[in-house]
Formats: sequence, structure tokens, C-alpha cells
Amino acid sequence: MRQIRFIAQKEIYHILRDVRSLVIIFVMPMLMTVLYGYAINMDIEHVPLAIVDQDQTAESRTLIERFYRSRYFFRAKAAPEYNDPEQVMRAAGAAAVLFIRPGFERAVQNKTDFELGLTIDGSETSQAAAVQGYASALLNEFLQDHLPPGTEVPGVRLSQQVLYNPDLQSSHFFVPGIVAIILLMISALLTSITIAREKETGTLEQLLTAPVTPIQLLIGKLLPYIGIAFIDGLLVIGFAKVLFAVPFVGSFWLLLVVELIYVTTALSIGILVSTGVATQQLAMQYALLLTMLPSVMLSGFIFAIKNMPVVLQMVSRIVPATYFLKVVRGIMLKGSGFEVLAAPAGFLLILQVVLLTIAVRRFRTRIG
Amino acid sequence: MWRPYIGVVRKELIQFLRDKNALRMLFVMPVIQLLLLGYAIQTDVKKLWLDVYDADRTELSRQLIAALQAGDYFVVTDRQVQSERTPVWQLDERFKRGEAEMALIIPPGFAEQLSTNHPAHVGWVADGTDANAARIGIGYAGQILRKFSSDVTGMRPFVEIRSEFLYNPEGESRNFMVPGIVATLLTMITLMLTAMAIVRERELGTLEQVLVTPVTSFTLLFGKLTMFVMAAMLIMGLSLTVGILWFRVPFVGSPILLVVLSLLYLMTTLGVGMFISTITATQQQAMFYAWFFSIFTMLTSGYFTPVANMPIWLQRITLLNPMRYFIEIIRGIMMKGAGVADLSHDILALAVFGIVIFTFSTLRLGKRLA
Amino acid sequence: MTDHAVDITDLTRKFGTFTAVDRLSLTVEKGEIFGFLGANGAGKTTVIRMLCGLLKPTSGTGHVAGFDVLRQYEQIKRTIGYMSQKFTLYRDLTGRENLDFYGHLYNLGNHALKDRIAELTERLSLGPFIDRLSGALPMGWRQRLALATAIIHRPTIVFLDEPTAGVDPVFRRLFWELLYELADEGTTIFVTTHYMDEAEYCERISIMHNGKLIELGAPHELVRKHQASNLEDMFIDLIRPQGAAVAAN
Repeated sequence: MRQIRFIAQKEIYHILRDVRSLVIIFVMPMLMTVLYGYAINMDIEHVPLAIVDQDQTAESRTLIERFYRSRYFFRAKAAPEYNDPEQVMRAAGAAAVLFIRPGFERAVQNKTDFELGLTIDGSETSQAAAVQGYASALLNEFLQDHLPPGTEVPGVRLSQQVLYNPDLQSSHFFVPGIVAIILLMISALLTSITIAREKETGTLEQLLTAPVTPIQLLIGKLLPYIGIAFIDGLLVIGFAKVLFAVPFVGSFWLLLVVELIYVTTALSIGILVSTGVATQQLAMQYALLLTMLPSVMLSGFIFAIKNMPVVLQMVSRIVPATYFLKVVRGIMLKGSGFEVLAAPAGFLLILQVVLLTIAVRRFRTRIG
Repeated sequence: MWRPYIGVVRKELIQFLRDKNALRMLFVMPVIQLLLLGYAIQTDVKKLWLDVYDADRTELSRQLIAALQAGDYFVVTDRQVQSERTPVWQLDERFKRGEAEMALIIPPGFAEQLSTNHPAHVGWVADGTDANAARIGIGYAGQILRKFSSDVTGMRPFVEIRSEFLYNPEGESRNFMVPGIVATLLTMITLMLTAMAIVRERELGTLEQVLVTPVTSFTLLFGKLTMFVMAAMLIMGLSLTVGILWFRVPFVGSPILLVVLSLLYLMTTLGVGMFISTITATQQQAMFYAWFFSIFTMLTSGYFTPVANMPIWLQRITLLNPMRYFIEIIRGIMMKGAGVADLSHDILALAVFGIVIFTFSTLRLGKRLA
Repeated sequence: MTDHAVDITDLTRKFGTFTAVDRLSLTVEKGEIFGFLGANGAGKTTVIRMLCGLLKPTSGTGHVAGFDVLRQYEQIKRTIGYMSQKFTLYRDLTGRENLDFYGHLYNLGNHALKDRIAELTERLSLGPFIDRLSGALPMGWRQRLALATAIIHRPTIVFLDEPTAGVDPVFRRLFWELLYELADEGTTIFVTTHYMDEAEYCERISIMHNGKLIELGAPHELVRKHQASNLEDMFIDLIRPQGAAVAAN
């Protein structure tokens, strides 16, 4: 027991003296939270739209105003009047061009059929789909306005309600995910560097000549990092609340428990990596590769898992971040309780046990 | 004059071909990443899990459900309605478990209201956790319901929008992402390679022996840079080949223009790599800085998410990000067949950045080496 | 202008407030084997680096191979060879590839370079090792390779910083035989060493201590002058009391 404490203390001492480690621990998580939180915004708004008004009537101007007043579109640079929508798009730097042919006002007043042309830049598919949807909705609103007040329009009427994130803030979706990513990264990175560093400088051999078992060594080394990961987790969550007003509806303690499991899993990955490589440099490369890439891409952090090919869906099942993400989002945004989260937490636990066992066994054989 | 240069280039080549790690990083990594990202990145919102609570159970309500089911947008699950009231608690649990993302509640009397030309209200609940999916899902629902309404009531809005999509006729989000991935790989790898290679020489002490010879630091530098440029072109060629042959990403514009502009862009990445090598002492530090810088650059370049979505202050910062311009260029050339005139703004920006950063870093590194 | 191989006057190098080399003056003749002795940290490596054009002197003047140390270091680099304490060739290149690389840096033409490499390989008996990765070579052979690299361009002066450190006695003897051959051909040898037997191989030696030159002359003459029993004792006597004297101040 005492040996473990000594080793842990030595590790903390090392960490505090290594400026690089300190930067990784404190500065990076906050920087990344800020970066990811602000930069990643999949909400499609403020799309540059060019409107070519060939009708030039009061009605057409009302329509134009409605479009630009909404937060979906803004006025693209004025383009000289071309007739070809593609040319207008290029000249105006717009993502879509709306053509209002002459006769619009007449059609609106006489309620006759009329077609507006909308040319959309299809390069970015989700933006294109959204633009189409917004335009359609805005036109609909415009037409509603022209009905006498109190008219009941036949047809299906939608009354919508959004749960858990009523303002539809993108950051609420991503920022909890950032917690997962950062925790993983830090844990894996730090442990892999640490153990690799000792191997590289040869101090590991020295350590083992002391009456310390490999297991005690491992636990002693890991303990400080668990603590650090916790602190970081809290830091990021606190930051998230302050900067992005992300809610925290559910149980804090439940999150901590699952966080513990998650962190140990990440640490196991770090250990595994460091037992497999000879230099710190390689340790870092592989740690990053094995943690960051799958966690960001395949865990559901940004991209929906169910839309991926089956092979990748299966891979995402063994990415720890996938489960932790469900838990952290569930607790922070939905207030999900134990019954609901037992499944992902359980999977995470299984992953952790497996990884930890392999890591410990490898560590023993490599070192002992 | 050129003999020392040739000597340096040859040495770099030999070392590079012998370095298994570098080779792996150069060839295997891009291919793996490209395949992974190409398949994983699907920004289209589809197959949303929709729970339908139909308390009406009439032919019209079933038709409505069928309309929602048609196409790829929703995956419908028909749920039993326990009571006449909206089963909020049922909903909540399904949402919490992640088994449903949207819910439609059709109250009794729906068909009657609709067929007598009254507005027929339905309730739509969305899980707002994924804000983007929620918003787009609601948009889809709106469109589908409007069409359904006009089909049933026979009343069409007299003004309609006819949409046409330019570029990317298959509507593959991959066509949009893959050029971005190529740009990303180029950036990250050249940055890391440059930073690390130079630091490594310093670390190992081999630089000392070289400096005893009459070779100038600039010859040394340019020899190394030649190597990096060759490696970069190789990466780009490889990733583009994978993208075009495997993913069938279109390439509409001029390859030569792309090569020329990539070389221009490389001035920036190599310059930054060199700069990093002047501020770090170990390879590990160099790699770390390079990696961190790459991430920052990537996130703010419009690769993942459009710049227009970012807060204004961040948008202004991205104006200083060379990768942002390069992404415009590579996407423009590949997807739209853009030419010099269309890209003039981006080309100018890249040129300015490239020349400034490259010159600055070269001079700085040259001084350090001497 | 001097006809000496090395001619320095009051050469000084400071690092901040620390004076590593304090007004060093000495001359070395062409074709001479000159030994440069001193304790660790005495300033020997700093002196060599200044003479090689790797470091700029803080003050003083000097000429190496007739070129000004302060202004003509480019020319100096072309005419001198250098072998450092550590192994500074590329470990992931073979001996031949290292030699080829440096040959290019010294601007040797293709044919001339090939011939020169063959010549050096034979002369230094590098044959069986020339195509092995230099990092895989045993110590003695590595040093020979480093020497070959240092003389690939036929320099008139060769600076060697503890070239035989960590090498076994047999190899050391062989190495010095090579140095003698080079000296016979007219190359000036400027060598640092810790080994007293090697110091005795030199025609003249100098002793540095705390940045200053404290003795200069032929080995046997110095031993006689200080009435010591051998070179080693003389060396220790010279270094130790000086240190004590400095500490007492």
C-alpha cells in the first residue's frame, strides 16, 4: 500500500515538473472546449442567398424582405443582373439563387399559378436540403399572410415541441461530447507517454529493482491520472456551462461513476499502447491514432452511427466513447436515470474489464 | 553549387525510404483515414426514428403515416396509444433510451377534421439533443405534411418553388467531404514531417558534422524541402486516386491547376513546419505542436462545418487560416470545375500567406542552422 | 601573413559572463601532430569549434590554413576536416552512403568521389563494413568511418576531438598509425585526447585549464621542465594545484 502511495507521489512530482504535461492537462482541454464548441456548428443558418427580382413590385419586395429577415438567409453580395443562375451564384458568392420572374404580384393578387425558380449549390448536401426546406417554409408563411385573418386553412397543421434542447443549440449536442473526447485523449496520451518515457530513459529497470511488484507500479502510476482526468472532466463541464450554457439536468454522481469507468478504460488503452512501442514519439502517435480518430469519427460525436456502413457500425461498438457519449448526453441534456443508462454503462464496463485485463497482463509480461 | 544540393536530396530520400514509420505514416495512414472518413462521414440527416401514436386509426391517418414513411427520411414505428391523452411519459422514455428521435401524435378526429376542410392538428415532438437533426427533421415533416395536405384537400398553394441543384448531382455528401479530407491529410502530414525531421537532426547531433562542411544552411534547407514537396505530392496523388477510383468523387476541373495551387499551399504548410522546428527542442514536442496546430487549422477551415456557421469573431480569425482558402480551391476545382478567375480571391490570399510565412520561416531557420 | 597551419592570438570566447576560452595564443606548424590536452570543461571543445568555423570568437584574432577565423570561415570549412567526440554521421545510412553524402557536400565530382571512396575504403580497411548501416558498426570501425569522412576532401588540417574515446587499445594503435601516415603526407593533425600515451605520440602538446593555456611544448621537454616522473603525473600536478589556487582566491 505504502509503495503505491510513493509511486503515485513520484508520478505527481514528475507531472508538476514537466511543463508539457501541465499544458496538456489544463490548457488543452479548455482550448479544445472553446474551439470545438464554437467551431463545430452544424446548424445551417445565415446562408448567402441571392434574389433576382425581375418583378420589382411591392409583393416581390415583401417576399424578399421575409426571406432576408429570417435567420436562415442573408443577402449575398449584389450581383449584376445575369440571366443564368449559375453565373449569378458565382458572381454573388451565393449558395442559392431565387429567381422572381415578372408577373409575381399579379399571380399573388389573382391567386393564379406561378412558379419561382430556386437554384441551389448542391455541393454541400445537408445545406442544400436545408435551403430547400427553409425556402419552402418561408414561402408558405408568406402565402399564409395573404389570407384574410381568421381564415382556417384546411390541411394538416403541425404543432411542434422540442424536448431537452428547446432552443436547438448545436453546442448542447457537441459540448458534452467534447468531455468524452478530451478525457480519452488526456488519459491515453499521458499514460502512454509516461510509461514510454520510463522505458526510454531506462528508469523503469531501476524502479523494478526495488521491492515493488509490477501491479503496484501500475496502480501507483495510474492513480494520479485518474485524479487528473476527474479534474479535467469537471473543468470542461464547468466551462461548458459557463460558456455555452449547456444544461445539467441529471444526476452528477451517476456521471462521476461512469466517468471513472470510462477514464480507466482510456488509461488501459494508454498502457496497452506503451507496452507495444519503444519510443515516446511512437507512443504518442499510436495513442492519438487509436483514441482520437475513432472517438471523433465513429462514436456518434458528430456523425450519426446509424448512417454508416455496417462494418463501421460494428467498429463503433468497441469504441468506449460511443457508450460514454450516450451517458453524458443523456445525463446532461435529458436527465436520464440509471435504468435507461444501465445498458451503455454496462457495455462500457465490459470494455473496461477486457481492456484492463489485457493491459495488465501485457504490462506484467513486458516488464516483470 | 548544385552538387551539395543533390547530395542532400539523395540523403533525405535514402533516409526516408529506410524509415519504416515515416513510410507507414505517408502511405498507410492517408489511405486508412480516407477510407474511414469517406465512409463514416455522412452529414445527411436521414433514417430518423419516428414513433407514431395514432389515436385516430382511420384511412387518412394511415395515409399520412405512409407518406412519412416513403423515402429515406423517417423510419416509422407504430406505437400503441395507452390513453386518449398524449402519452408524454411513454415518449420521454423512448427518447431517453435513444430508441426514438421524433414522435408524431395524431389525435382522434383527425380524418374528420381534414375531410371537412378544417385544419387538422397533429403534434410533433422532436428530441432536441441533436439540434441539427431535429431542425432538419422538422423541416422534412413540414414539407411532407404540406404535400399531403394539398393532395388530400386538392388545394395547392398557387405559388410554388421549383428547385434545381447544381453540382453534385448524386447528392453525395462524400463528394463534398473527400476533397476536404485530401486537403487535411496534406496539411497534417507535411506539417508534421517538416517539423519533426528538422528537429530530429538537431536532436541526434548529426547537424554538427554537416555544418563543418562548406554547405550553406539554405542549400541544406532546400534539399530537405525538396524531399518534403515530393512526399506531399505523393500523398496528394495517392489520396486523390483513392478518392476518385474508390469513392468515385468527381473531378471536373483542371488537375494541373490543382497541382500548381497545391504547391502554393505547401509553401504555407512547410513554412509553418519549419517555424515549429525553430521553437521546439525534441521531436515529441514538435509533433505535438504540429498536431495541435493541424487540429486548430482543420476545425476552422470550413472542412467540417461551414465557416458561415461560426460566431463572427471566429469567422474573422479564420480569414487568417490558409487552409480555408485551399479548401475552397480544391472543392471548387474538383466539384465545380472552377478556374483561376473564380478562385482569384483565394489564390491571392494563399500567395500572400505562402510567401510571407515561407520567407519568414526560411530566414529564421537558416539563422538557427548557421 | 603566416605560413603556420594554425595561428591564433588572444582568442577569447565568452558565454554571457562565463569565459570559456581566455586569451588563447598558439601556433601549429604544417604537418605537425599537435596534442591538445586539458581536463573536462577546460575549454578544448570550444577552441576546436572556433577553429572549425562552427563558433564565432568573442575577441582575438586567428588564422587557420591561412584564412581569417573571424571573416573567412567559409574558406576554412573547405580546407579543414573535423571529427567530433560523438558519432555524428547518419546511423541509418551505410558507410558508403555517408561518404557519398559528405563527398557531395564538399563538391567532389562523381568520378573523383567514387575513386576517393574506394581509396579510403582500402586504406582504412573499411571493406567489409562499408555497406553496413553505420549505426550497426562496432565502435572502432565507426571511428574509422568518421575519420574517412573527415578527410574525404583531402583537407590540409584535420581537427580531432577525442577520436579514440571508448575504443580498445589495438584499434587505438591502428588509428594512430593512420594519423602518422596522414602527417607524413603533409596533413596537420590537431588532436584532443585524455590518454597520456597518445599525448606522447604528439610532437608538441598544450595544456588548457579553466580556459587558459598553462603549458606548451614537446612532451619529453615538459616532463623534464616540471621534474615529473612521467607525463601523467606532470599533468595531474599542473591541474590540481591550479584548481586549489583558484579555489583559495
